[in-house]
Amino acid sequence: MVVKVVTDSVSDISHAMADELGVTVVPLNVVFNGYTYRDGVDMTTDEFYEKLEHEEIHPTTSTPAPQVFSEVYDRLADETDGILVITIGSKLSATGESAFKGIEVMKKKCRVAVVVSELAMMAEGLLAIAAAKAARDGAGLDELVKLTNDNIPRVGLRIVFDTLEYLHRGGRIGKAQALMGSMLGINPVLGIKDGEVFPFGRERSRARAIDHLYEFVAGYSRIDELAVEDATTPDETGAFVKRLGAVFPRERIYLSKVSPVIGTNVGPSAIGVAVLGDK
Amino acid sequence: MSQMNSVAGQDLRDMFSAATSWLEKSSADIDALNVFPVPDGDTGTNMMLTMRSTMDEAYRAPDHSAAGVAHAMARGALMGARGNSGVILSQIWRGLAQGLEDKETFNAADLAAALQQSAQIAYKGVCNPVEGTMLTVMRDAAAAAQAQVDAGNEDVIALMEATVDAAAESVANTPKLLKVLLDAGVVDAGGQGVYTILEGALRYLRGETELMRLRKPQIIVSDIPHVVSQPQSIAIDEVPYGYCTEFLLKGEKLEPDIIKKRLLKKGESLIVVGDDSAVRIHIHTLTPGNILQLAAKLGTMHQVSIRNMDEQHQDFLEMQKERMPTTDTAVIAVVAGDGLTDVFGSLGAAAVVPGGQTMNPSTKDILQVVEATFSDKIIILPNNKNIIATANQVQSLTEKKIMVVPTKTIPQGVVAILSFDYEAEINANAEIMEKALSSVKTIEITRSVRATKINGLKIKRKQPIGLLDGELIAVGDTNLDVINQLLSRLGLEKVEVITIYFGEDAEEDETEQISAGIMEKYPHLQVESIRGGQPHYSYIISIE
Repeated sequence: MVVKVVTDSVSDISHAMADELGVTVVPLNVVFNGYTYRDGVDMTTDEFYEKLEHEEIHPTTSTPAPQVFSEVYDRLADETDGILVITIGSKLSATGESAFKGIEVMKKKCRVAVVVSELAMMAEGLLAIAAAKAARDGAGLDELVKLTNDNIPRVGLRIVFDTLEYLHRGGRIGKAQALMGSMLGINPVLGIKDGEVFPFGRERSRARAIDHLYEFVAGYSRIDELAVEDATTPDETGAFVKRLGAVFPRERIYLSKVSPVIGTNVGPSAIGVAVLGDK
Repeated sequence: MSQMNSVAGQDLRDMFSAATSWLEKSSADIDALNVFPVPDGDTGTNMMLTMRSTMDEAYRAPDHSAAGVAHAMARGALMGARGNSGVILSQIWRGLAQGLEDKETFNAADLAAALQQSAQIAYKGVCNPVEGTMLTVMRDAAAAAQAQVDAGNEDVIALMEATVDAAAESVANTPKLLKVLLDAGVVDAGGQGVYTILEGALRYLRGETELMRLRKPQIIVSDIPHVVSQPQSIAIDEVPYGYCTEFLLKGEKLEPDIIKKRLLKKGESLIVVGDDSAVRIHIHTLTPGNILQLAAKLGTMHQVSIRNMDEQHQDFLEMQKERMPTTDTAVIAVVAGDGLTDVFGSLGAAAVVPGGQTMNPSTKDILQVVEATFSDKIIILPNNKNIIATANQVQSLTEKKIMVVPTKTIPQGVVAILSFDYEAEINANAEIMEKALSSVKTIEITRSVRATKINGLKIKRKQPIGLLDGELIAVGDTNLDVINQLLSRLGLEKVEVITIYFGEDAEEDETEQISAGIMEKYPHLQVESIRGGQPHYSYIISIE
């Protein structure tokens, strides 16, 4: 039986990718003005950014309950005898804990392995994509756990955005605190290091920040998977993807949207790139 | 959403019991916010322990009325208060108990009135109330609660939501009110504690207990820029902080107000709270013996704690180090002007040596700052061609590893520090920074000190002159004229960002005129003007 791959909505795996690869996406929650929306289910990404820019109240996010995971496990247990769950890092969210607790409360019998990735966004998404492809080719659960753990250090993520305001409001700044409160207009380049948000660069213009992303990708000697995601800037992203065609076949680049859960923290101008490969 | 109009004693107990667990999850993070010498080394832990004692007593309340539970909480808090923040917290519960006197249950109006009383009593306990601390946060929170009642709202949950929001905002505002917080780039730890307790209580009322098990309180982040330490404040002077002395005094007919008066001149951060049978005393003093002698005459002393605050200071410095990104290299910049000092601070400079054109610092001035900086690997940005040689001499006078990146102007210093790589070690960083220097051009506008002829230019005394990368190449009748001459010499097609740092003698109107003029002529440019506050140069312009 083919092992089923489950991930959370912070992986930014789109509905289309999930359908194609047979990945199940468990939504985190976005709380806006007292109302809870399931990420990507109750509110589309576009609706979310519309609200984010126009409403004064800052949204917060919350972890899915263990029951949400256990229901997914129970449903998948009818189709498989092995489930691999890949979640966002533990320093960024308690979703991994919830995924573990879901195992305790599930009713059916099925092997479930949880890998807490210490990553987020498409960096996490690429792990799920690589695992789903390997599962389709017949890899067993233990093999997939090893593959995913081996892949974690091979995934890199860089995000640029215009303002630190949103990250700031959300309080998830981590070591990027060092970039805070700058008096100059700066486009920060952030990534994740040791499970925490980490400052990788500070560029003086948007164009240079995008150059930074390009050079980051070009610095890899071998690229297995590549993903680009944005929030509300499709034209700019389109041009960037075109440029990336010089280092990786364009048709193989996964395109996605920054999920509202992360969007809450990075704001509408974010563009991110994730690479699975070797430097 | 559900509405709640009345709260019973059991709920009062359970909501703050939930708040205690909530605070417990955050206590280490709150400890990390601590700023010395604001009292106590471990605010989060102290508040958490105080809350535990508060709630232990609440479970021993003689009845289940709101008044009974609140009184038990106040008693428990006084008996178990730890540290400055714990003592103030105990006053908050005392105020709450007074406000809920004789109440079997309480409604929104009762709660608002009780919170107001809490804020008042908290202020009273402290001899010299300082704004920007938990006192301010409590007062702002209570005011928001009262505003809900005044607006006719009867829902306790809605009232608590407004209270928690106000507390959060107040916490974020604390660095504006208290300079030590601003300098350290943190919010007030005690204020964060009060916010966390109120938030925990609110979450309980909303029925979010399951969620509270999985999640963790968030530390409020302030949007006020972090300002760099001035060398005088970071120099390790031998200022003794003394001993943080605290104890519970038990006796009969104790008079807290009189005790307070007698201790007032014996130390700092004095807090005396309690009633006629138990008084809690907290003071920072150089002579704890005298305090204990005095107290021994009044009653019996319990839970006596005397801690050396200089040791706490060392722990604090270690903790500060951990908060920074994982780099052990510090950057020191030579800068004149308060605005530019802030710019370098906001970009991560560990310290600034005051100096620049016509006021070159000595090797000793730089050395002093190097020695006082908490790192063994230091990159110096001289930001002036006449200071590079001085900076280079520092290496031979210190054990620390020094690299000098030869920045000749402020804009070069800015691009250098911007390119700092938090992952790289010192040699690689010096190389990266030096490489970045070619990406910027610098215009400096000043006035000639005497009439002269140079580079084929005839210059009158006090006439505006312009330098491009240190070379005098333009003279004109106005600053604007000189700037325009210089800009037209540069090919601006490939330039993206122009930053104008205006000096202490620059006029606002003129600055606006200059930046508007550039934007009009070169619409593709991103133009920023920032107050540099530098002497001598009316304008320093960075062209990237």
